[in-house]
Amino acid sequence: MKNIKYSLFVILIPFIGWNQVDRSIIPAAGEAKEIKLKDSEVFTTSNGITVILSENHKIPRVSINYISGADPRIEGDKSGLSSMAGELIMSGTASLTKDELDNKIDFIGANLSASENSIRLSCLTKHFSTGLSLMEDVAKNASFPKDEVNRIKKQAESNLSATKSSADEMANNAVVKVNFAGHPYGNVMTEASLANISRDDLIAYYQSTFTPQESYIVIVGDINRESAENLVNKHFGSWEGKKPFKKKYPSTNRNTGGNKVYFVDKPGAVQSVIYITFPVDMDLSSSDQIETKLLFNILGGGGFGNRLMQNLREDKAYTYGCYSRLSLTDNGSWLSAGGNFRNAVTDSAITEIMYELKNIATNMVSDKELSMTKASSSGRFARSLEQPSTIARFALNSIKYNLDKDYYQKYLQKLNGMSKEMVLDVAQKHIPFENCNIVVVGNSEIIDKLLPFDGDNNIELLDPYGNPKERMRPSDLTGNQVINNYLMKVTGSATMKEVLKKNKSIKTYKEVTELSMAQMPGALTLTKMFKSPKTSSMKMEMNGMVLQSGYFTGKKGFNQNMQTGKKDLTKDEVEEKKKSFGLFPQLNYAKNNITVEAIGIEPKGSDEYYVIKIIDGENEEFQYFNKNDFLLANTLSIVTAPEGGEPAENSVEYSDYKEVNGILFPQTQIMSFGNVTFSGTVKSNQINSDIDFSEFNEK
Amino acid sequence: MKKIISIASMFCFVLVLNAQEKIQYIEYDLPNGIHVILHQDSATPIVAVSVLYHVGSKNENENRTGFAHFFEHLLFEGSENIERGEYDELVESNGGTLNANTSQDRTFYFEILPSNQLELGLWLESERMLHAKVNNKGIETQRSVVKEEKRQRVDNQPYASFITEMFLRSFPNHPYNWVPIGSMEHLDAAQEEDYVNFYKTFYVPSNATLSIAGDLDIEQTKKWIDKYFASMPKGQAINLYRDYLAYDNTTFQTKYGVEKNVFDEDLFFESTDKKAIAKINEFSNIPTLVKRTQKDSEPIDGIIKDVVYDNIQLPALFMGYKFPEQTNADSYALEMMNQVLSGGTSSRINKAVVEKKQMATFAFSFNYALEDSGLGIFAAIASKDVELDDIQGEFDMQIDKIKNELISDEEFQKIRTSIEANIVGMNSTVAGIAENLANNHVYFGSAEMTNTFLNKYLSVTKEDIQRVAQKYLTQDRRVILHYLPKEEK
Repeated sequence: MKNIKYSLFVILIPFIGWNQVDRSIIPAAGEAKEIKLKDSEVFTTSNGITVILSENHKIPRVSINYISGADPRIEGDKSGLSSMAGELIMSGTASLTKDELDNKIDFIGANLSASENSIRLSCLTKHFSTGLSLMEDVAKNASFPKDEVNRIKKQAESNLSATKSSADEMANNAVVKVNFAGHPYGNVMTEASLANISRDDLIAYYQSTFTPQESYIVIVGDINRESAENLVNKHFGSWEGKKPFKKKYPSTNRNTGGNKVYFVDKPGAVQSVIYITFPVDMDLSSSDQIETKLLFNILGGGGFGNRLMQNLREDKAYTYGCYSRLSLTDNGSWLSAGGNFRNAVTDSAITEIMYELKNIATNMVSDKELSMTKASSSGRFARSLEQPSTIARFALNSIKYNLDKDYYQKYLQKLNGMSKEMVLDVAQKHIPFENCNIVVVGNSEIIDKLLPFDGDNNIELLDPYGNPKERMRPSDLTGNQVINNYLMKVTGSATMKEVLKKNKSIKTYKEVTELSMAQMPGALTLTKMFKSPKTSSMKMEMNGMVLQSGYFTGKKGFNQNMQTGKKDLTKDEVEEKKKSFGLFPQLNYAKNNITVEAIGIEPKGSDEYYVIKIIDGENEEFQYFNKNDFLLANTLSIVTAPEGGEPAENSVEYSDYKEVNGILFPQTQIMSFGNVTFSGTVKSNQINSDIDFSEFNEK
Repeated sequence: MKKIISIASMFCFVLVLNAQEKIQYIEYDLPNGIHVILHQDSATPIVAVSVLYHVGSKNENENRTGFAHFFEHLLFEGSENIERGEYDELVESNGGTLNANTSQDRTFYFEILPSNQLELGLWLESERMLHAKVNNKGIETQRSVVKEEKRQRVDNQPYASFITEMFLRSFPNHPYNWVPIGSMEHLDAAQEEDYVNFYKTFYVPSNATLSIAGDLDIEQTKKWIDKYFASMPKGQAINLYRDYLAYDNTTFQTKYGVEKNVFDEDLFFESTDKKAIAKINEFSNIPTLVKRTQKDSEPIDGIIKDVVYDNIQLPALFMGYKFPEQTNADSYALEMMNQVLSGGTSSRINKAVVEKKQMATFAFSFNYALEDSGLGIFAAIASKDVELDDIQGEFDMQIDKIKNELISDEEFQKIRTSIEANIVGMNSTVAGIAENLANNHVYFGSAEMTNTFLNKYLSVTKEDIQRVAQKYLTQDRRVILHYLPKEEK
């Protein structure tokens, strides 16, 4: 009996076995699915709005997006107007202040936002009607309150200052300028254009842009055709806006006489930002966009496998990242390929990127590259579809560009059907590898290395906003002469002897500055104190909370901030501090072996500036003195980071000099630390008053 | 008259639109105990594959805190068939994305993939479940990654230790005593044996919920699940196999009484040797049991008041009250109470403490709801020169108010709206749905909660809110922590 049982058991085994699988085989992908995008409904209102409705009842939420039918315009000496108007649209309406509007939006848990040519609302279905009333108010009655206009203008000023320390932003400005001369995409805000923008301009822009005629409204989510039609007609059907601005500009502006090098000077830079860029004759209606996107992904899109990354990072180690990006838009498209590179390899990097452009435009890509890029592109495409905004964009594109009805439905199949030949075809068509724009933002010491790349051996210099800039001319004075002139000017002295005497008479100094930051409401207070011979302190506060402080006795001291707590100055930091004290650190240069060199005279706007380079060991600072009056206009210091980190850059702009006790002090100081910018207004300058360091003394 | 009708009809249609489509799903158990939940939604050709292991920091040995989270990191290192570093690459090069997280109660892994890569996702998760492989280099690397994570998220963040300090005092007799990040000393002290035991105890089929949502064919998906997951044996046989991989012959023989070579190397579970079959069957019949922790409703032992010195500038106040476990019927009313006190800028605490009286730069409250218990926490960072006791006085006034008076209709309406918007948002992505279904299955024993959550909240009355405030905001039983700058020590 026992035996029988046993044998039965054995027989049963195979049936209850686990059908083990060969786990060493990585499962292959199934066939790409057809995307089941629901057909969108389309209807028009009597006042000219095309409404696209994409129903999706999965969750009780609706989003609605109004997109103006106006064309972008060349803004010229008011560049930046449209982006500023976009920021201000949510700042209040004829009947609601900004606070009231914000509160009403919160009460229904909605999101309502605007850009220069669109307004978007998203909320629960049941609050849609209330949300639409707010959206309607914003679309028709934005009031551009004066104080909000001033606030946003101030914010824009700070952002502009930050641009000058951001090599990436300068490079982006240069890229749109060189690709889109005489085209609205070349609108880049400058200090001068910002100053020209008035509230009336903003209102005029708003009125000729936010108008029903030729506009689109895209609704996505939990709403049916009938309700959508009723609600759109109720809120926007009787809207009588002005005529929208209409004008088309040619979208491409390719070089013909060979490659062209554009250089933006970034004093002291240790890295160059390089973009090889050119317009691409394509818009969202072009029939070859899928293969073109694939082409540029193989060249340098996304992950690690692409060619630029393989060559310039993995193989040559010139950079941490090198990419190419196709910007595909309504009114013009362009490609940029590049990244950040050490000064010493700037020319080699350009050579390699140019090689890759030529190579991909003359030889077939490999099967593996093609299939891997297809896989990652289709994954990204598919995941993006979960966002209702993606569906809305597709619905809009289909109508706007008259795409095949099943264009997006079949997108993945089309993508997978692309061949190497098709990729080569578009590469030959779209990559002008002998007529590119080469944009370099970097240290002027490397400029000579760039000459060989320029078709006519003439590098064009651009300012931080991408506008042509004159070359610097040699200085007529030495660095020390410029600095001495500055010191005599601010102390009202006729000789250096007098400067020293005045400096000696300053026993204490206290400066209180109010700082505001674009990204943050509320003001910070910066208090700096100095007592002869070498005691100094700084303190930055917000609403009584000390964010940061520092103290130095002349021999030792500390820094303190909220994140890291209190840290005593290291030996090196103490040495550093000892070199720079008092109102005029320039007076200590000679003693401390700090060298001063006049780089040249640089034209900027209507003025000219002496550019003086101060070298202290590893650290460099540039000081710009106005040629007319020798006043210090700005400083720019590059601090090398330990352990191969990115060097940090701090800049301060000084203006509005005012006399206090016979000495000129700048009343406006705009400070940038990396990409954080503070606008400072000096509240008081006190010389030889009683000052008290007791709060810094050790307990 | 006409106008009145149109308004009325408008009202009707708002009500009609409000009906939310139910989230449909199927669920079943595999013989080895894996609970499977499948939700089909073909709107987007993507699929979220997730596995929830019912193990969190509360299952840790008190001498090995932080282990569950550390283990989560280790399980990206590879498997018998996936080389070190290949896990991420396989997902990303196939158009997907992946991540994981660990709480007191569970560890959750997920991939979001193009739907034609569903089989790949299942294979990846089954590899992790069956025979994850971690070498010393991986352990060392992840140990420093976790330490870096703790430095960034806790040590270098002012006040961030308050959660740790609050749980430490609120749960003297429950493993909520420590938090998921745990102790770095414990991680340093961990031995190989600890890893092996943790994997063998908690990473077993019967402790896993496989939740998949997205563009999938139910029948095909079931077939793949059979292939990759049902092929794992039930009970301790999986650990027999893991020991077979890990041990040399002598060790294996000492432990199991058979030689390794009786088993088939490539098809372990289909070994034909009688001894092997007997062993596998023997161990399949020994269940893998995870010892569950107990619910903790032990009241806080009076008023526990303490001072914590931290790298901060401004003192801060933290108060903690014992709340019930998240499945308790009162938790919905408690969450709505919290919305009244602290939901958004127009809430009571923000308006009173921050805006009107300017006693604090930040002040808020929140509910920390867990499987075995919960905490209601009040927090405020003081304005300069404001005493923490005065802030506590203001908090106490707010607490008295919500205990003694019904909230206004306007407030009630607003919190219902915001709760609804939050819940609706949770199910807007397939990854969110997969996670909610799995969580609700594990915590509430019902994936269906995903569809009924909102009703639970909407059935809360103003009176309920007052009642739970009275019941749980116990002024004579709470933890009060004063955070003071280190220099004042």
